[in-house]
Amino acid sequence: MLDKPASALRIRERLIESERLMEETGCYDGITELQLRNQDPLKFETLHTKLRAYCVSAREMARRISASPGVREVGEMVVAIYTPEGDAIALSNGIMVHVHTMSRFIKWMIRNGYEENPQIRDGDIFANNDAFIGTVQVPDVMDVMPIFHSGKLVGWAGAVCHELEAGGITPGGDVALAQERFTEGLFVCAEKVGQNDELRRDYVIRCERNLRMPIYWVLDEKAKVASCIDMRESVKALIDEIGLDYWMQVSKEFIEEGRRAQLARTRQLTVPGIYRGHTFYGHVTKGKPGYQPLGDPDWLYNIPIEMEITSDGKIKMDFEGTQPWGYHSMNCTPAGMDGGMFVTLTQHMNFEGLVNDGAWMATELKLPHGTWTNPDNEMVATATSWALLLPAYGVFQRLLSRSFIARGFVEEAFVGQVNSPMIEMGGTSQYGTPFGMAHFECAAAGSGALAIKDGLDTAYVGWNPESDMGNIEIWEQNMPMLYIGRSIVPNSGGAGKYRGGCSFLSTWLVSKTDHLRLVTSEHSSRVFDNGGLCGGYPAPTCQKHRAVRDSNIFELAENGAPLAHHTGTNPYRSELEVRLEGEHVTLEGPYITAPHKTGDVFTHSYNGGGGYGDVLERDPVKTARDVENGFLTREAAEGIFGIVLDEDEEGFPVANLEATKRHRAEMRAKRLAHARPVSEWMAKERERVKAAGFAPEVKKMYASAIKLSPRFTKDFSTFWDVDAKSTFGVE
Amino acid sequence: MTSYSKEVIADLVAGTLPWPQTRRIMSAYKDDDRFFKYVAVLQDRVGWKDPILLPVGDHLFICQSGDERVTKCECGHSFGDYRRNWKLKAAIIVRDTEETLREIYPNSDLPDPDWMEIREFICPECGTLHEVEAAAPGYPIVHDFEPDLEGFYRDWLGKPLESSTRAIPGKA
Repeated sequence: MLDKPASALRIRERLIESERLMEETGCYDGITELQLRNQDPLKFETLHTKLRAYCVSAREMARRISASPGVREVGEMVVAIYTPEGDAIALSNGIMVHVHTMSRFIKWMIRNGYEENPQIRDGDIFANNDAFIGTVQVPDVMDVMPIFHSGKLVGWAGAVCHELEAGGITPGGDVALAQERFTEGLFVCAEKVGQNDELRRDYVIRCERNLRMPIYWVLDEKAKVASCIDMRESVKALIDEIGLDYWMQVSKEFIEEGRRAQLARTRQLTVPGIYRGHTFYGHVTKGKPGYQPLGDPDWLYNIPIEMEITSDGKIKMDFEGTQPWGYHSMNCTPAGMDGGMFVTLTQHMNFEGLVNDGAWMATELKLPHGTWTNPDNEMVATATSWALLLPAYGVFQRLLSRSFIARGFVEEAFVGQVNSPMIEMGGTSQYGTPFGMAHFECAAAGSGALAIKDGLDTAYVGWNPESDMGNIEIWEQNMPMLYIGRSIVPNSGGAGKYRGGCSFLSTWLVSKTDHLRLVTSEHSSRVFDNGGLCGGYPAPTCQKHRAVRDSNIFELAENGAPLAHHTGTNPYRSELEVRLEGEHVTLEGPYITAPHKTGDVFTHSYNGGGGYGDVLERDPVKTARDVENGFLTREAAEGIFGIVLDEDEEGFPVANLEATKRHRAEMRAKRLAHARPVSEWMAKERERVKAAGFAPEVKKMYASAIKLSPRFTKDFSTFWDVDAKSTFGVE
Repeated sequence: MTSYSKEVIADLVAGTLPWPQTRRIMSAYKDDDRFFKYVAVLQDRVGWKDPILLPVGDHLFICQSGDERVTKCECGHSFGDYRRNWKLKAAIIVRDTEETLREIYPNSDLPDPDWMEIREFICPECGTLHEVEAAAPGYPIVHDFEPDLEGFYRDWLGKPLESSTRAIPGKA
């Protein structure tokens, strides 16, 4: 039990009291006046800056302890400092999505009587990776340590690393084959895993015996504990300096300040009203090897989102109309959904001021029970929750951007994030040892466009704003595959006046192994899972996986013949087919098949971002540079953007402005000639709707949305003037 | 308080402001006087006199047209009452075949047209492509944005609009 609670109340009662005060006053912990801030604003700001410095410094130290290239190279880690009740006060950079999910973890322990059993003592280490307690998915393992001062609980230090191997039925952590939670890997459900600042030996043994490469997990645990101890000691020293009473009050004022700052920011940057958008996710799994019976069907998910910005600056996101949870790995928990909101706010609105749980408190998520956003069954799998989470928050970014454009802050308008297709692997390493790991170069995709410039090429993902694909040489140390190519994919950014950021594609030679299992996940097939804005197109998302088994690549290399380093730009015949002999395989959706061995070649591509604005307004000069640098093809420049390119004396593309003007006028005229009134299209389309003349997966999608959501049913029925329930046979 | 000239805002909106200066604007405190300068920049751009009340797209504005508030294209074409979904009054091109999708995605693998189509919403007068929806066949056209226009001017900008009592056309 606690030696001495910080107040007269036990911590569980204190948490309930804090929530009651928030309910009654509308202010965090009932703080209606920022007394300390008003008394000495400079001291107030300086203290928060110090706390943030503690976090950033602790994370950097931990990255150097970690053995995982995911943490060391890509920065898949975040640390934060919390109040005794579990609300985030300050955080580091990194995978900020987990700051609020850790908050849920701490509160879960408090609510579940951890004070009595297993007790909360100075030096204890608690770990969790159960998304129904507070994380996003199994590989996101969080450790928290209480901070005691003068025998009183005065806060918590917490750290999260994304593990490269989680012990599921396939190697890695985003276990695409998971049908229920029992296949997702090693669960640590809010457990006390250490005492006296040291991890328990029995916990480490459990990790060593249940993971394919425990070195990542175990050394990451040590890195997290080190960072927590570092933050704890810094906070204690700070309390020595400023006094315990001051700390207890100022730490809460920081959060209330964060809440107020978020409301003010919303009122400054946006326009009140209702915003709507949607996205889709299509997953092709039927008949694929490894999928269990309940997880076998193909899936089409619709994700409609209605965002309300109220007159007081609150942002409310409503997911009504989205799909039910399913026997697949793409479900998410409210913790994950909260995390998505938190990481988006920290990137897109809270670029100054105090970033903490206060910002999250200025928002509200409506997550309909029984949907993938809030499953009413805690046995569901959440291993690839990012598959739906990322497209959903990509819509949120686009909705926010609509408000920035309306308000005039065009430099903040951002077409949004895209999905991050992931490759994971296991089997026998190049060193002859068992191995398993996730390849995290997916932490650098193309971003959506901005309203004033093109998106970032190969340099953005929503879940880790530091976005780094990592060093090829480091990845090659950890997997039995050698890069024979890592290249920009031309035209992979969504077209527009400003194009989306381009993606890249990696091509590998399997090397020094006779057993390499490859698994890919979070790959939307058959539909776009992102969109454009103000006339921009979505980026392509349907990249197939291509492999060559038993290739003749060694023979070609010996003869000095040209090799295939990428798939090329011919969608009907890839460079692999042109250059290499062997058994050619092309697969749609997740890649799960028999093991590869030395001499096989495999490719995997990542996603680009959506475009902004009308394609016929794109700058011809900039486009010529894009063609020269391989971001666009000549065919796309002329066919999509209407830009005519000539060549200079050295053969480089140069925009022909006069010819471009003429060509664009023709394209615009053609566009008008082909277009028809929406009313005309709707009249014809209504007949199809009345007959429910859609593919089975589309019909299933409508039927499930109608079954769950009265609002979706009403909207659909009103729009098409049909009875949606009878149309799709829903009772 | 941070503030920029109308000329700087004009260059920023046009995407012609040098990147280092744009970057500084992105990193600095936001300018509270942005909105009306922004609207003035856009008003200079259009060839008509109706006052712009709120931009809702790259070339799409809510403006005061007589005693009506309508959504209007930069070319002057009106899509009707701003409380109605302007898309329903637009022209449309739907890409729902491999051939038409390939025109936009020349070297990529394509979505399955049975699962997803692209809808392009176009001004029937000038041909500007205002918005693109990617949706499953049969999905209702989304009404992107219903601003609380009067609340925005009254409560956030402190400059209330003159009240408009016109009912939404087609509604009792």
